[in-house]
Amino acid sequence: MRRLPDVPPRGRAITVDLEGESLPAIEGEPVACSLIAAGEPMLARSIKYHRPRGPYCFAGACSHCLMRVDGVPNVYACRTPARDGMKLERQNAYPSAKVDIFESIDWFFPKGMDHHEMFAGVPVAEQVMAKVARQLAGLGLLPKTPAPVTAPARTVRTRVAVVGGGAAGLAAARVLTERDVGFLLIERDDALGGRLANGAPEAGGPSLDDIHRISPSSVLTRATALGLYDDEAGRFLAVGTWEADAPRLVKVYSERFLLTPGGHPPTLPFENNDLPGVYAGRAASLLLRRYDVAPETAALVGWGAELHALANLLQERGTKVVAVVDLRDTPPAGAHATAVRGSEPKAHGLRGVSAFSYTREGGGREKVSCDAVLVSVPVSPSFELARQGGAKVPFDEKRGLFVVETDADGRTQAPDVYAAGDVTGGGTAKDAAAAGRRAAQALVGGLS
Amino acid sequence: MSKAMICSCEDVTVDDIRHAVSRGFCDVESVKRYTGFGTGICQGKSCSAAVAALLEKEKALKPAAVVPFTPRPPLYPTELRMMASAPVDESQPPVGGLPQEVDAFPAALRPEGPVPAKAKVVIIGGGIMGLALAYNLARAGETDVVVLERGYLCAGASGRNGGGVRMQWGTPSLVELAKRSIELMKGFARELGINVWLRQGGYIFLAKTAPVAQRLERNVSLHNRFGVPTRLITPDEARDIVPGLTMKDCLIASYNPEDGVIFPWPFLWGYAQGCQKRGVRVETYTDVTGFETSGGQVRKVKTTRGDIACDTVVLAAGAWSPQVAKLVDVKLPNEPHRHEILSTEPLKPFLGPLVSVLDSGLYFSQSMRGEIVGGMGDAKEPAGLNMGSTLRFVSRFAQALMEQLPEVGHVKVLRQWAGCYDVTPDNNPILGRTPGLDNLLQMSGFVGHGFMMAPAVAERMAKWMATGESDELFTRFNLRRYSDAAGHSREFGTGTLEREDMVIG
Repeated sequence: MRRLPDVPPRGRAITVDLEGESLPAIEGEPVACSLIAAGEPMLARSIKYHRPRGPYCFAGACSHCLMRVDGVPNVYACRTPARDGMKLERQNAYPSAKVDIFESIDWFFPKGMDHHEMFAGVPVAEQVMAKVARQLAGLGLLPKTPAPVTAPARTVRTRVAVVGGGAAGLAAARVLTERDVGFLLIERDDALGGRLANGAPEAGGPSLDDIHRISPSSVLTRATALGLYDDEAGRFLAVGTWEADAPRLVKVYSERFLLTPGGHPPTLPFENNDLPGVYAGRAASLLLRRYDVAPETAALVGWGAELHALANLLQERGTKVVAVVDLRDTPPAGAHATAVRGSEPKAHGLRGVSAFSYTREGGGREKVSCDAVLVSVPVSPSFELARQGGAKVPFDEKRGLFVVETDADGRTQAPDVYAAGDVTGGGTAKDAAAAGRRAAQALVGGLS
Repeated sequence: MSKAMICSCEDVTVDDIRHAVSRGFCDVESVKRYTGFGTGICQGKSCSAAVAALLEKEKALKPAAVVPFTPRPPLYPTELRMMASAPVDESQPPVGGLPQEVDAFPAALRPEGPVPAKAKVVIIGGGIMGLALAYNLARAGETDVVVLERGYLCAGASGRNGGGVRMQWGTPSLVELAKRSIELMKGFARELGINVWLRQGGYIFLAKTAPVAQRLERNVSLHNRFGVPTRLITPDEARDIVPGLTMKDCLIASYNPEDGVIFPWPFLWGYAQGCQKRGVRVETYTDVTGFETSGGQVRKVKTTRGDIACDTVVLAAGAWSPQVAKLVDVKLPNEPHRHEILSTEPLKPFLGPLVSVLDSGLYFSQSMRGEIVGGMGDAKEPAGLNMGSTLRFVSRFAQALMEQLPEVGHVKVLRQWAGCYDVTPDNNPILGRTPGLDNLLQMSGFVGHGFMMAPAVAERMAKWMATGESDELFTRFNLRRYSDAAGHSREFGTGTLEREDMVIG
């Protein structure tokens, strides 16, 4: 990964401190992005096997980028803005992440381990194992000092709480604005747009213009919905926010909850899928579009329209795309020149990706050198809030995903919970926007 | 080393999932518990779909049986200090809880085929009580036993508790049972081939009010009489054991270094496997729907998978026991009470003992995996089978924990959940024969500490059932004690009942 040459910087040049080493960064960008652009893709060692890890999803949906940041353990480096002089430490390694003697555990257990049966009932070995396991367990160290007290929680009441400012949420917010229905749009990122802003552009997809039609007072950014709770005053979202750069809890009571949180970049199980240098497809498009950071040479694997759109986007912006392996379908017309149908993907490298191999359909094994493997598969619906709110979440066999069940207008089986967009099973951004509009129209009709 | 990771938070490989299936763990909740997938920092965001797809593809589950494990709040790791900032009105009872999941098992998970048409013993409840009893019966030679469980193993309180095991009790019976249980736990892996990770880091009880201090003082001599090395310690000594512990308002503390914490789930799996090896049937996702009685005896247990004619029925359904007893017109005095609990991000070891403030019901310990696991009773909690989670709990707990251990303010909560205590009027269990239904045996009412009592209770009960030798446990804790000779309910607190007063929460 590198910063694109000949692109004006997006912010102030600063330095961050990685275990005593000073590294360049851009103020406000995710510090994980700064680190990979500075040539440090390994940010951690994994919990059990001490495998090298680097950021994967850039969405707070995995654990590959957890670091100790300014003395606080297990912080998502992918969601922490870079600040001048911030202190970053890699965790769970001895004596250091680069030379970690506990990496040997990975070699002792080539396929995995069953800690339930290991040494069970073997005299002495059992006790020794328990002692060793306790010392090896856990990720970060307890902070050394008490944390500053958080300001008291704030309570907000609104008619409609919309969770997620992507294609579906924006389209819904526009309808609510036009109908003059009070709402609060809750967005985890520091800007609205979701995949419209961060994904590989989709032909005929909706524009981002809806953002300008929404009153800023109806939007909370850097706001994470933590749960759909209830209490004596009704149902509310507990939302973790940042106000004046300090954390603040906000309780959002609402008559309707319109859930448009999209999906999480999922894991695709293949050999060495956790090696630093393997990134989710949406992470790659985010890094490129928002922060001008991209691989020099990339192999892509996955399926669906986003895979091929991403390959073309990267190619246009100067990345050398050396393989595009579609695991499900024959690549469509207009796909990248290297696109093939294939199987058995594998990443290669010791501390980070150096190559990628796969079996070409009707052919043999192919291996290409690259500095990144990008995994682009349909996102895994963020069904958690909907399930907490009482919606049904069946398994969609064909897609291999859990999806929130709704009718055509986004109604779930819970009367006050509506859902639209990727959370109901994915599709194009255009589909998501249309679903968001329909759901907003339907729920406005039911408001007294 | 090449590995295909399916859950990278907990380093679970594709092969680990297949291994779990080969051990008989097929539904998503059970695979989660056996492999640990989805229990790490991301709580299943990146791995749930991949695991589900693998289970479905490899025919471990029918598509309709593929349901996600319950997504617990908070949805993203959240600092305790932020949770502590939510307002709490202590004068009001808690309301609600998310998600309500008391009857949430889809029919597709039910095993195909009927249950056996007859069995000598039917045990209702596949928690630790029922399974430990079945295992002990089988060991004594009685293998014609069927255990009925309405969900997966670990779905009830046995899978939801904090894993604390202690000998510090207020009555001789419980001290003795707990001591024996911990002895059995030490040998569990040798006997049943599965690790339970007993770590004897001790229990420290803090007293902040005079009555509680007196209780602790009184108990020390009781414990010592049974060979339990409890001692009273000063606030300074407590701080030596747990650096960073604030001792504000603390009058005195008691400490038994031999108490500890275990990992609850493997007990159930170990007992269940031990049962199955000996021919006992353990039937999950099978509900009891009624009973057939005649001549003061239960003749048949009716289930969603057919009827079982039987000689003896044991009711070991924990907080669900009153509901099941009602099906056969037996009124039990137990009441379910929700107790909420949470777990944080895993940290390197820093906390040896389990610490509890008896006055407020706060308790916390560090699990083998490094998480802070803790809860806090709520005096205003109404009775009812509610297993939902509230923001109120997590806020109260965070405030109380930060007061006791200020360094945890930045520590992040990973998930919160709840289970039900099975509360009796005297905080003591109900054991033995049911008046009027001689072959219905009670084994419930353990008020949140059944898990740690089960190995010893089951050993005694199996012996009592198999040999017919009298055992004072089954008369002392018989259901009869709650009513007078004429069958009327007794007034509690009249001095006739010995009350256990070392219940947390």
